[in-house]
Parts: sequence; structure tokens; C-alpha cells
Amino acid sequence: MIAHAIVETDSPDEFAEQIEKSQDALPAKIDANPENVEKGLAKLVLTLIELIRQLLEKQAIRRVEAGSLSEEEVERVGETLMKLENKMAQLKELLGLKDEDLNLNLGPLGDLM
Amino acid sequence: MKLYLYGIVDSSDRIKEAIDGLRGSRVYSIPYCDIGVVVSEIDQVTQGVTQGCVLEHEAVVEKLMADFTVLPMRFRTLVDGRDNLLAMMQSYYRDFKGNLERLRNKSEFGVKVIWPADKVKENIVNRLRSDQPETSGPRRSAGTRFMKEKFERYRIDEEFQTRADQFIKAMDIFLGKFAVEKRLEKLKTEKLLLDAAYLVEKSQACDFREAFWHIKSAHPGFKFLLSGPWPAYNFVGLSKHDPARDAEQANLFAEVARSQDLVGADGV
Repeated sequence: MIAHAIVETDSPDEFAEQIEKSQDALPAKIDANPENVEKGLAKLVLTLIELIRQLLEKQAIRRVEAGSLSEEEVERVGETLMKLENKMAQLKELLGLKDEDLNLNLGPLGDLM
Repeated sequence: MKLYLYGIVDSSDRIKEAIDGLRGSRVYSIPYCDIGVVVSEIDQVTQGVTQGCVLEHEAVVEKLMADFTVLPMRFRTLVDGRDNLLAMMQSYYRDFKGNLERLRNKSEFGVKVIWPADKVKENIVNRLRSDQPETSGPRRSAGTRFMKEKFERYRIDEEFQTRADQFIKAMDIFLGKFAVEKRLEKLKTEKLLLDAAYLVEKSQACDFREAFWHIKSAHPGFKFLLSGPWPAYNFVGLSKHDPARDAEQANLFAEVARSQDLVGADGV
């Protein structure tokens, strides 16, 4: 059917799998209806919390890398982040969400995380 | 009656060849000044996005490419009637014209590269371990251990990204020489190292392909995909200089979007 364009590769299945994976990350439309509106809202809130958690983690890692934290401070920050990560894992399990669910497509800006 | 849009062409002449469009509809061109918009008439679009429909759309655009410079429309772009279509052409004329001139005698090639991500990571981990061997220091508490693990993962990720950048740069040095524009996307998945679109002069297409095969043979552990020549789907852009005109254009885009919503159309 295609008149000119040719696709050349030795591994068509592997490329199909990766392309599908990269497109499956997010739905094209928000799936909002009366049955799942609570889950949708929870997903949005958890996504924002996850974004803040990751920002805190990155900031802490940068400070560790720069050597600007004392041993006590590293311990305290580490414990806080660890508890936050555990709590997030519990909430995700409770709401039946996976890591890849916690993201937002910002259109031309790409994905939030 | 809705009009299904395939593309904008750089001529107001009629299409000489008989082309079948979506579901066998007749494809024809509606002139506007010295350019044209290629359409077919469609009552309603009820079916979902199927491979067959996408290929039908693509086949029309590729047939047009043989005779014209084409600005390909997104799959399932619909306009509600001729008047709305002409209003859109009037608003976007300068943009369409500019894009047609920029894309004349050029086509798009797609390049995708899968790299051995697991091996790359393993290699990085081994190197970092040899740089910093485990020491038997005092027993660490939970918080410190957590931070240490995070820090190690962060260093692995940083190095992974750096190596991806290096590979992409090396590949792009070869391919970029034969392209006038490019869009590169790094690591859309951990394995998909590069997803690139290159805009290539038709006269340089053979050189571009040769450069691709050269890179492929130089990276035996990697997997490559080359596709094209395609219509320049990734290189059509609208200018955004005049706020008043932008607002007008935004409304027209909304009109098009609304007409798509009415028939339950999705973008691809």
C-alpha cells in the first residue's frame, strides 16, 4: 500500500516492542467517568507528591555529592526519605497504582517525570 | 458533509492522477491562491484507528509527494465543510507557504537505535566498583545506608545518560552532515537509545543512507532501524509572532479540534 517509504531493520519485533512501550506510558486521553473519578484524583495527587519526593531526593543527593551535609544530617535526611518512599509504596498498593502510572503528559513539554 | 484532509500542496493545479482516499473516497484538491489542500469527502468516521486507515492516509500523502511538495496533515484531520476549510487556509496561508518553501525537495528519514542497555549498566557498575572498592568501615544506620544506595544509583544513572549522549553525538556527526534539520529524542525507553527524524535534501538521500549503513556496521552490538523517505511529518511548524493572529489561529485550531471531537476522532 505504501508507495515509497521503506522500513529497514534486522530486529522488527524488538523495535515494535520498544515503540509500543514508549507510547504506552501514558493514555492519550484522561479516562474520567463517575466510576473511577476518585482513583483519577488520587492518581493526580500522588503524582504531584511523587514529583516533590523525587525533587527532595535529588536535592539531597546533590548535597551529599557536594559534601555539604554532616554525617548526622545524612542520616536524618536518609531516614526521612526512606519513610516517605515506604509510605508512597503503601499508598500506591492501596490504590492499585504502578510506578509508571504516576506521571503526567504535558503535551509539547513532554512528560512530567 | 465533512472534508477529510490529507495535506497541503505547493500548487493550485488539479491532481492529475486518480487517487483513492479513505474507504475508497475520491481524492481531489481545493485551490487557495497558489497552493492547494487535498481532501476527500466523508460522511462520518465511526471506526477506530486501524492500521488499514493509517496506511490509506499515508499512501495518499506519498502519492502526492511524487508530484508536489506536501505538508502532511495529521491522520484523521477533519474540517466541517468547505467554508471552514477556506477560512483555515486564509488564516494559515503564510505559514503554509513558508513551510512549503522550506520543505521543497526534502523528505524525512527516521532512525531508531536500540542499544544493549543491560550490558552498558553492568559495565558502569563494574567500573564504579573498581574505582571505589567496598571498605569495611563502621556499621551504617538505616538512613545513611538508604542515602548511600540512592547516591550509587544516581551515579549509575548519570553515567548511563552520559554514555547515551556520547553515542548519540557520535552517530549524529555522521548522519547530521547530510541533513538540513533534525529532531533527536534520547532514551524514550531504557533500550531505545535514539529516536530521530532527519530532514534530508532529496539529492542527499543516497549519502544519508550510506552514512546510516556505515554507522550500523561500526556498532555491532546495537540494533538499527532506518525508515523513509517520508513526508516531513516532524518538520512542519507554525510561526508564533503576531499575538492577534495567534488568537485567531488558536480559534481555528479549536474549530478543527471540535470537528474531530464531533466524530470521535483521535490523533495519531
